[in-house]
Formats: sequence, C-alpha cells, structure tokens
Amino acid sequence: MFKEFVEKKRYSFHEGFDDWRDAVRAACQPLIDEGVADPIYPKEIIKKVEELGPYIVIAPNICIPHAQEGLGVYDTAMCFMKTEKPVHFDPNDPEKDAQIFVVLASVDNNVHLENLSQLSEALSDEELVAKLLKAKTPEDLLKLEA
Amino acid sequence: MAKLKVIAACGSGMGSSQIIKMKLEKAFKKLGIDAEIYHTNVGDAKSQANNFDVVFCSASLVGTFTGVKATVIGLKNLLSEKEMAEKIQSEIIDKK
Repeated sequence: MFKEFVEKKRYSFHEGFDDWRDAVRAACQPLIDEGVADPIYPKEIIKKVEELGPYIVIAPNICIPHAQEGLGVYDTAMCFMKTEKPVHFDPNDPEKDAQIFVVLASVDNNVHLENLSQLSEALSDEELVAKLLKAKTPEDLLKLEA
Repeated sequence: MAKLKVIAACGSGMGSSQIIKMKLEKAFKKLGIDAEIYHTNVGDAKSQANNFDVVFCSASLVGTFTGVKATVIGLKNLLSEKEMAEKIQSEIIDKK
C-alpha cells in the first residue's frame, strides 16, 4: 500500500498548517494534479466537516478526508499526506489533532472496500503508526512493510 | 440473545462508517454476539434508527442522534477494537 502511494506519486509531506481546511486541500492536491479528483472534492469534504464536526479524524493522529462516493472523483484511490506539526481540527480537543492523512476517493465500491480494509489493518498497527509519524520522505514510506 | 441489528454511521457513509463496520464485525465475533451490521451516512442513519437496536458512530456525531430510541454509541478511536469491545460490554451486554 505505501509502495503504491510512492509509485503513483500519491503522497505529500508538509511542515504544518494553521487551518485544517488548508491541510485537507493539500492532502487532496496530488489526486487533483493527477486528474483523479476535482477541486470540488476538498470543498465537499470541508463542507461536511464544517456541518458535522471532525468525524474524518478517526483515531488520534489519523485523518481520512473523504466525501460521498463518485462526487468530484473519477477513480478509486487513496492518497497519503504527513505533516511534521499536528493539524488542529478542534481547538478544545487535542484528540482531534492529526499528522497522518489518507484521502479516500471512490467510484468502485469493491475496490474501495479492499483499500479500506488494508488501510484500517495498517493503521490499527501501533508500531506502523509510530513509524509513519517519523516518516519525512517517500523513501521512509518504501521502508514500511504494509 | 436475538440477532442484534446494528448500524454504523459517518458523515458520508463511505469511509469511517465502513471502517466501523469492519472493526465491529471482528469485535462482535470475538464476544460471541450474533449481529447484523449495516453502514450509511448520518442523515440516513437517523431516519432509519428506529429499525435498529444500536447505532455506532464517531463521538463527534453523537449529537446528531438526539431523540432516537436506539442505543447510540460514540467512538473516540474508530480503529480500536478494544474501545468497541468495552463499549459493547458496558452499553449493550450489561444493560440487557
């Protein structure tokens, strides 16, 4: 999975973002550059989070920006982003800070489910998450097993 | 216990809710509870909540379900089977 992120250039590394909205936009940017997603996609994600709260932060440090299936996306893909400094989604709740971002895009539910299953397995592994938090370059991603 | 009807909800119904469903399937299996698990977005989940025994969602979405009869369980860490197992125990098993 991490090898695929690097091979397909679906990754980015950043110092940090003062506004979580900028983090979501930056996380989606490689998919937009590739033509997999439309600039509408990050807008939809941001709109949903503003409406419902930071539900895309699924675990401490981990955020999976996504919106509805098929809306502003043209392929089924995942795209990785890591920030050095935590991005704050809720100023009153440090458990909603994130440094690891994996954008989900889906037009094919079967492929998407396979992706999600791999992703949730990988991110449930605390040792792997610790390594991801230290990753600074694509080479660091290639060293990971998953 | 009769088969438990469970719905997992998230903002869009395609990301977090499916992860909750995958993790819940494992958690319920380990606890030996027969559960039927669906997933959808919060709006849909709220309108259907009365057909289910339990709703699972991200802790930040619990407020959306004010007034529903089903047991609503908010999760802080959607990847933690441990948190799910503890909440299934305290909110479902212990209250039967």
